[in-house]
This record gives sequence, structure tokens and C-alpha cells, in this order.
Amino acid sequence: MGYWKDIVLGGWSLIEGMKVTGRALFKPVVTVQYPRKRLEMSPAYRGHIEFKIFPETGTHGCIACGTCQRVCPSNVIKVQGVKAHARSGKIATHYVIDFTRCSLCGLCVESCPTQTLKFSTEFELAGDSRWDGVVDLVLRMEESRS
Amino acid sequence: MAEHFPQPVQQQLYSLNLGPQHPSTHGVLRVLLTLDGEYILKADPIIGYGHRGHEKMGENRTYLQFMPNSSRMDYLSGLLYNHGFCLAVEKLAGIDPPERAKYIRVICAELNRISSHLLWFGTFLMDLGAFTPFLYCFDDRENILDILDRVSGSRLTYSYCRFGGVARDVDEVFIDQTRAFIKRLRSRWPDYHNLVTKNIIFIHRVRDVGIIDKDLARRFGVTGPNLRAAGVPFDMRKVEPYEVYDRFDFEIPTGTKGDALDRYRVRLEEMEQSCRIIEQALDQLPGGAYRQERVRLKLTPPRGDVYFAFESARGQTAYYLVSDGSPYPYRVHVRVPSFGNLHCLTEVLRETLVADTIAILGSIDIVVPEIDR
Repeated sequence: MGYWKDIVLGGWSLIEGMKVTGRALFKPVVTVQYPRKRLEMSPAYRGHIEFKIFPETGTHGCIACGTCQRVCPSNVIKVQGVKAHARSGKIATHYVIDFTRCSLCGLCVESCPTQTLKFSTEFELAGDSRWDGVVDLVLRMEESRS
Repeated sequence: MAEHFPQPVQQQLYSLNLGPQHPSTHGVLRVLLTLDGEYILKADPIIGYGHRGHEKMGENRTYLQFMPNSSRMDYLSGLLYNHGFCLAVEKLAGIDPPERAKYIRVICAELNRISSHLLWFGTFLMDLGAFTPFLYCFDDRENILDILDRVSGSRLTYSYCRFGGVARDVDEVFIDQTRAFIKRLRSRWPDYHNLVTKNIIFIHRVRDVGIIDKDLARRFGVTGPNLRAAGVPFDMRKVEPYEVYDRFDFEIPTGTKGDALDRYRVRLEEMEQSCRIIEQALDQLPGGAYRQERVRLKLTPPRGDVYFAFESARGQTAYYLVSDGSPYPYRVHVRVPSFGNLHCLTEVLRETLVADTIAILGSIDIVVPEIDR
């Protein structure tokens, strides 16, 4: 008795399962053919950091205060700045981030007192060596402007 | 069980290493099995292959800097760990976040719990040899990841909570997406039940397999859905309500026997309860600030220690923090649920078949990096 019952029940659960699978045939596909089609990026996406360019000054607002450098849990930020003259504030000349060791927590962006940092939406990052992940944001910004 | 079979002329026992790189061990776990034919005489789970020293790292980072680490400990429910760590520090420093922040945290944490259970559902069935449900689950889980990606900016390692609030505010789109997701998930239950719960092969693989009863669970400190499957309605959200969980109406699903089928049912029901919590939280979501001002980045809690336990997707998780009044914690300790859940394997696996090992290991839902933190 148990033998035949098992066969009938097994057959029925197979049919039930096949019905679910069969219905999926007529539903739209959920995958995206990636290089040809792209999804919309989330506005909050945390990529590597970048300088914001303020329209009123036409440049970044980094004062090389080093808050981001101190708050970074992975110690990947090095920022240097110079004073144009004795009484002025500092202006960043080098802002080097080692993106290969960055944990993308976003604390630097949150802590920035002049709010000059933002997240980029780049996600297709590849390089030949580790040094490709080390970027100077000041240099990068100047290159993008020219 | 083994005595039902004719004894071989010369009994030969042999050892089999299941793992550390077997896909069904869910990470770098090695189970040293001593076998008599297909029967397991002894099973020793061996851990420690992926030790990363998170607790030590906590000692040379400030409280806020440890936040990204907390979501890397358990990569499936990172937000729950963030949430728990945040609450522990808030308890230590005496910070009371605004109402809106509490609700946002609960919604996101419950979404993350569903996503963790969905991934468990998929991988458990893949361990048993069913591939289709895995794809279905990842389709659903993708929706949660999109929602959380939109609000926190990351898909896996969220680090979304902040002391005294959350990192970003949520908007109308988030609420609409979440409601749409819950509706969609509910429409998927019949599919899952037809495909899996009613499937006779699945039932034969998991029924009466790997029984963790109340007594065994108590001895090994098993918590979470595994304990609830044994019939103990123990859930930190009900027992010691933290955050705003006491304002919601939800039930704790329990099983009766504590076998793999009960654990499966409890987790499925828990997802539904999480949906209920999210719905109620969305209805009650107040306006106002999402983050308390005047919480310093370099937080200095007063001297003292705090033990804070919360319910993560795998069970009772706790942070023990000792503060010496400096910006760096003197000691960080994490009580992880997977440790107790895993180590009852020694008892559970005795005199079962090798094929059942995979089913049991899958059904107790371990995350090895959480143990080897």
C-alpha cells in the first residue's frame, strides 16, 4: 500500500513542481544582459570617493584639515596641503587614496567639514597592478576639468 | 542503527574530511567524520580556518570605525549586526536616537533578516540537490538588495546605522518599494510551498533528520530558529524587547520535534512575521529627524561595560563592550549564535548517514566567518 501511495504522491508532487516551473517560462526574465544592458545605479551608491566641484569657485573645497585621514578605519587616505600666504587657510595639493584597501564605509564623506567629498558611481574598476588603485584626487579632478 | 547490518569480517573505520572547501559546508568549515561504511560514528567540527581578528581590531579602532567591521562578521545579515553594535554603544554612552531612526532601523533590519533567510532557503535546497528554488530565492532577494542599496549605498556590507540614528534618511520611494516587495513575497509563498514544502523527495530527506531537542539545545547554547524549532519560544525581540519591537504585534513561530523539517518551517514562518513587522513599522513611521545631532564622531562613552543581546538571523547575538573612557573600546567581544548551533553537530550527527550530514548542516544555517571572526 505504502509503495503505491508513494508513487502516486511522488508523481503528484512532481507535477505540482513542474507547474511552478512551467509558469516561469511565460514570465519576463529577471536577469540583465550586462554589457549590452545596464541597470540604473542607486543614487546612494558608495564607490570610491571623489572631489565635488563647487560652481562658485570652480574647484574643490578641500582645506587639507585631515579629518578624513583620522576617521578612516583602514588608514588609506593621505592628504597634504599648502598655505598660499601666511594668514590664509591650507589648500590641498595632494589627496591620495589607496582604493584597493578601502572598506567603503563612507566615514570620510560624512566627516568632511567642507563637504567637498562625494562618492563616485564608477563600479567597473580594473587594473594591471595594485598601484592602479592608488589615486590622487587632486590630479584626477584637474584631469577631468581639462 | 549500525547493528542492523551484518558485521564485516574485519571492521574498518576510516576518517573522512568534509571540507574545509566543500561547497555544502557554507564556508571554511571542516567536519572530521569517522565512518563505518556510510554511518557516522563520530563527527568533529573543526573551525578556525578564516580567523580575521575582528575583536582585536575593535580595540584599536574608535567605536564608529568598528562599524564597517560589524557588517563583515556575518555577511548575510550585516545590517542586523550593525544594528546590534549600534544599540550596544548607545546603551553604553546613553544616547537616545529619534523615533524615526528607530523605525527605519527596524524596517531595514527586518528586511535584512528576510534576505538572510531567503539565502538560507536557497542554499539549503541546493545542498539537498534542488537548484530551481535557489534561483527563485535569489530573484526575491535581489529586490531586498535593491531596496537596501538605494537607502544605504551598499548591497552586502551596509554599515548603515550610526550612533544616534541612521546614515541616510528614507523617502517615499523606499516605502513604496518595500510595500511592493512584501506584496510580491506573499504572492510567492504558494509557489514555494508547491515547489518545495509539498515535494515528497524534500520531505523524505528532512523529516526526522537531525533532531535537536530542547535538552540538547540547552546544553549547547543553541539559539534562534534552531531553538524555536525544538519548541522553545525564545526570541530576544519578545523576551527582552529592544528598540521598538514591543510596539508591534507579531508571533514567534515554534516547531514541535526539532528536526530539519521543523527548522525549515520555522524559518519560512519567520519571514512572514518579519513582513508583518515591516508593514506595521511602515504604517507607524513618524516624521522628524533621522539622526541625532551632537553625537561626536569620536565618541567617548563613560567608563564601564555593557552586554547587549539581540536577535540576529541565526539567533541570539550579543556584544560585550568594555570602555575605559577613551575613544577606543578597551575590549570588544561578540557572542555569535552559529558557534553553539554548529557544535551540537557532534551529538546530532552520531549514527546518521553521510547524506544526512549535508541536510543537517544546511538546515542549521551556519555562517562560518561569523564563528571565525
